[in-house]
Amino acid sequence: MSLQVIENATCTFCGCVCDDIDLHYDDVRIHKADHACVLGTAWFLNHTAEKKYPMALVDGREATLDEAIETAATLLHEADMPLVYGMSNTTCEAQKECAALADQLGGLLDSHTSL
Amino acid sequence: MGGKVTCTLGEVKQRADFIVYWGGNPAECHPRHFTKYTIMQKSKFLPRGRKDRTMVLVDIRETKSAKAADIFLQVRPGKDFELITILRAMIKDQHVSDEQISATGLTRDAIDDLIRRMKAAKFGCFFFGMGLSMTRGKHMNSASLLMLAAEMNAFTKFVAMPMRGHGNVTGADVIMRWQTGYPFGISFNRGYPRYNPGEFSTVDVLVRGDCDAAFIIGADPGATMPQPAIDHLARIPTIVLDPHITHTSRLARVHITTAPQGIAAPGTAYRMDELPMPLKPALKSPYPSDEEVVRRINEAIAKKPFWLPDGRQSPNLWSTQVNQ
Repeated sequence: MSLQVIENATCTFCGCVCDDIDLHYDDVRIHKADHACVLGTAWFLNHTAEKKYPMALVDGREATLDEAIETAATLLHEADMPLVYGMSNTTCEAQKECAALADQLGGLLDSHTSL
Repeated sequence: MGGKVTCTLGEVKQRADFIVYWGGNPAECHPRHFTKYTIMQKSKFLPRGRKDRTMVLVDIRETKSAKAADIFLQVRPGKDFELITILRAMIKDQHVSDEQISATGLTRDAIDDLIRRMKAAKFGCFFFGMGLSMTRGKHMNSASLLMLAAEMNAFTKFVAMPMRGHGNVTGADVIMRWQTGYPFGISFNRGYPRYNPGEFSTVDVLVRGDCDAAFIIGADPGATMPQPAIDHLARIPTIVLDPHITHTSRLARVHITTAPQGIAAPGTAYRMDELPMPLKPALKSPYPSDEEVVRRINEAIAKKPFWLPDGRQSPNLWSTQVNQ
């Protein structure tokens, strides 16, 4: 089976965010990442479209996405001072939702920058 | 102290003939930084590429990056702030004693030579890494280097740029600045954003046990933070969004598996010079994106009563924010 190619894809492993990577992929995994460095190659090749993990875990038990979202919302809503933290390995669109989450909860918002 | 004299990596590639890496190891942490942007590229202004550029490495030990450097300056651990302050004084011909210089681990000759080269450069750039910003002095070290870069502009063009790791951590700064006015360490507990690192920064909050729930996304504090902080995460309800089951997931009440950004989830990521880059995901993940999950959590919380006790309604910044 021949591989599909995306040209000039963006690597988000490190802060260089190289945008000249050619990804050779099939339905399940990326087989080759041209121009990527050793760290970027590992990043692209180690993530697959397989379902390796459960959709969600609640108290260590497998749960559906809907249950997990509802539990998360309840726990965060019940808290007096919830913390929203991280946001490094995620997109700006998700980061904006995180800012909205902290705002709506009256909580704390912080990233890796403060470490 | 405040403000950053900076530029894009494109300008560095085209123009920078004097590059200083301070407390960073790009050879191992940002492997393409040398070849794509800093020392190897030829340009209109630097037609001979590497030969037209000078690279200095300042670090506490000789890392692999030292091989690429023209000059390696080994600063004594914890003496970065002192060395930067000495440079700030000596570029202005102020007196610095031999004792003060030797405390940094460098010689007067080495510092004189560095200053001569800095002033002779056409376009200088400091890249500073976590060896500067996360050791003794922390943000004061970064601030003093930014001041040095600004003050060098009395003599020649000089800029400074942090070497950001962790994918889109630059994007987090940019988004928080856009949405709240502050880059990190923010509290909304009065209904409007307030900024105070040390009080609202995560490690401090966790070690003191100030928060009573945690929502962790795109990070694994369970593997990286000091033990008292991890202990507190295990005590309180923690919610984790990650493409993998992480250390933090194991101590969390809720883990939700999400699609990895840029591989199976679309969106935008910021480069370290604050240029936004569109992501081009190749795979279709069985998992939802972070964006979708956080939006759905926001929607679920919006259905519950607002947190202010007097029943005042949410100011709803989050639903009326500008969407450009």
